[in-house]
Amino acid sequence: MSELNLSLPLAPTVARVASRRVIKRLLSVLLSAACLSMLIWVAWLCFEWAFVNATVSSDARQAECVAGGGACWSVIVNRWRLIFFGLYPFEEHWRSVAACSIIVVTVILSCVPALWTATRLGILWLVGFTGFYILMRGGLFGLSLIREEQWGGLSLTLFIFSASVLIGMPLAIVLALLRDTKLPWISKSTGLIIDTIRSLPLLSILFAFAVVLPFMLPDMMVGEKLYRVIVAYALYFAAYQAEIIRGGLQGVPKGQDEAAKAMGMSYRHRMAYVLLPQAFRTSLPATINQFVVAFMETSLVVVVGFFDLLASGNAAYRTAEWTFAFVEVYAFIAAIYFIFSFGLSQYGAYLERRMGLGKR
Amino acid sequence: MKKGLGAIAMAFGMFASQVFAAQPTESIKSETLKTVLSRGALNCPGHNGSYLGFAEIDDKGNWKGLDIDLCRAMATAVFGTPDKSKIIPLSWVQRWPALQGGDIDILIKISAGTLSRDTELGFQFSNPYYLGATRILAHKKLEISELKEADGGTVCVLAGSVQEKLIANYAQKLDIKLQTVALDKSEELQEAYFSSRCDLYIEFGPTLAITRTKAANPDDHILLKDTLALSPEVMLVRQNDDAWLDIANWVISALLFAEQEGITSQNVDDIKAAPSSPEIAKFLGAKPGLGKPLGLDDDWAYNVVKHVGNYSELYERNIGMGSPYKMPREINALWQNGGVLYPYVID
Repeated sequence: MSELNLSLPLAPTVARVASRRVIKRLLSVLLSAACLSMLIWVAWLCFEWAFVNATVSSDARQAECVAGGGACWSVIVNRWRLIFFGLYPFEEHWRSVAACSIIVVTVILSCVPALWTATRLGILWLVGFTGFYILMRGGLFGLSLIREEQWGGLSLTLFIFSASVLIGMPLAIVLALLRDTKLPWISKSTGLIIDTIRSLPLLSILFAFAVVLPFMLPDMMVGEKLYRVIVAYALYFAAYQAEIIRGGLQGVPKGQDEAAKAMGMSYRHRMAYVLLPQAFRTSLPATINQFVVAFMETSLVVVVGFFDLLASGNAAYRTAEWTFAFVEVYAFIAAIYFIFSFGLSQYGAYLERRMGLGKR
Repeated sequence: MKKGLGAIAMAFGMFASQVFAAQPTESIKSETLKTVLSRGALNCPGHNGSYLGFAEIDDKGNWKGLDIDLCRAMATAVFGTPDKSKIIPLSWVQRWPALQGGDIDILIKISAGTLSRDTELGFQFSNPYYLGATRILAHKKLEISELKEADGGTVCVLAGSVQEKLIANYAQKLDIKLQTVALDKSEELQEAYFSSRCDLYIEFGPTLAITRTKAANPDDHILLKDTLALSPEVMLVRQNDDAWLDIANWVISALLFAEQEGITSQNVDDIKAAPSSPEIAKFLGAKPGLGKPLGLDDDWAYNVVKHVGNYSELYERNIGMGSPYKMPREINALWQNGGVLYPYVID
């Protein structure tokens, strides 16, 4: 009786707990298996669409593609030059290719730690950017002049991105420092500027710079539309990046600044050698994030009539024979954006590892 | 080095040609024309993407389409060659400020003439160069040719659109009953129509004709004869430049006159050599008088027909039977063929 008393309440409990665990595990195994097989199935469908049943022949049109049942990559085969180069004159496409390669090489080179001094990076970018500009615009060395409004596709996207980041980054540092000063007038008014820009949608800023500004400025100050748009992007980028840098500056322990002061370092030296490097280090993840966002946002120029990658993509399928193939074109463009953004974020991850971020 | 010298020489040449081109401007009344001549190019709008049939881009990145050809015709009238037209990509919202601010010289972007565009925005319209009708697409297997015969059918229509009201009123007028399927997105609509959920599909004409090309077999669908509403597509110019508007109107007129008289880009040289009437002689510049009042060369119309074509050629190669869209002329035919388009009289 006493044994029963002891074991009876215990035995069912163990059994119940055990069975509950088994059921739970079984359920989760089943659920996982179901989800996994669903995922695999979807992945297979995508794979089948993109590769197995796809049509790639350059002669194929709607009929052949529909018969194939999969993706119609023929649209890319026929229209890839439009997607990559936009309205850039057909015979001069090689210049666009060369210019893009220069920018890509410059970006890759500036990722090499050996080149990380202000002078070396400065020279690298000066050379890279001038090369890009001369190749794209021409008018020198016997290259025919191709005005900015004819630029398009990937090279325009890269140009807007790199130019706005190149202008925006130094501007962001200046804004961050101005906002961080102890002079209330300066810090308050800088704060006002930054917060105003941040509280406006990028679209409205772009529209104001591209369309409205020419009505207000005297003619000589208007300049090419492309550069007004780049200034707009740079301002927008700088406003956000300034806050990221300021966050980084505030994350540097106060003792660092005080120690530097105690050593008799000037403001310039304290900033350049002690505070900013550390601020950059802590704000790196957010900065890379901002870069990726800035790259994506270049596609908004389509609203002010530029033929960036996305707009050229639209034009590529919007013609009688290809109207049905928009999914393929968008998938292709998405892949291009993915390659660049993924590259950027992977590089960011490498930098974080290298700097031992989160470990030190 | 040689190339560099060549470039310099070319720059000088361009400078000289601009000075040269700028010379006869004393007799020119139009401010816009003066600007265009001194710039050496006519700026027209394109799209930030494309608009099927009216402005699209070919494999080599060149613009083509009815709007684009009209711009080329304008440029030919001014410069004698269509190559001096420059297409500036613009989004829909940008078109008004771009014209007001002078980024473009004339707006040819499938835009209808409306009261507010005329008055509040401060533009002037040319004569309509295209009448965009609201039409109905039907499955061919139904064997109908006009809406009257579609009593009891179902019609696909964009929810909350003008067309929804139009079709209801029109059905009432014809005293037939239609069941409407109103959907929010045009992709859904097209899907519903193609899957035979609807017998009919009502839309803006060009959009409809283009939808038809997406069908598995475009010949399985026909446009009904009915026209439910008309949107007159015009060229727009800034106010207070009547002389420039005159040029726009006369370019449209010249395209239509050439068609009326059977003058095409193929036979224009023969006809110019032996014109059949004094009007045609004057029109083609064999006799003087067509250019001076407009501030253009006397053979501007000849150049337009020679290099761009007459209205029929423009229409057919861009949106008509010579194009994938296969839109019949119908209301956009000349008056003598049952349409409403007509040229002005050349006296």
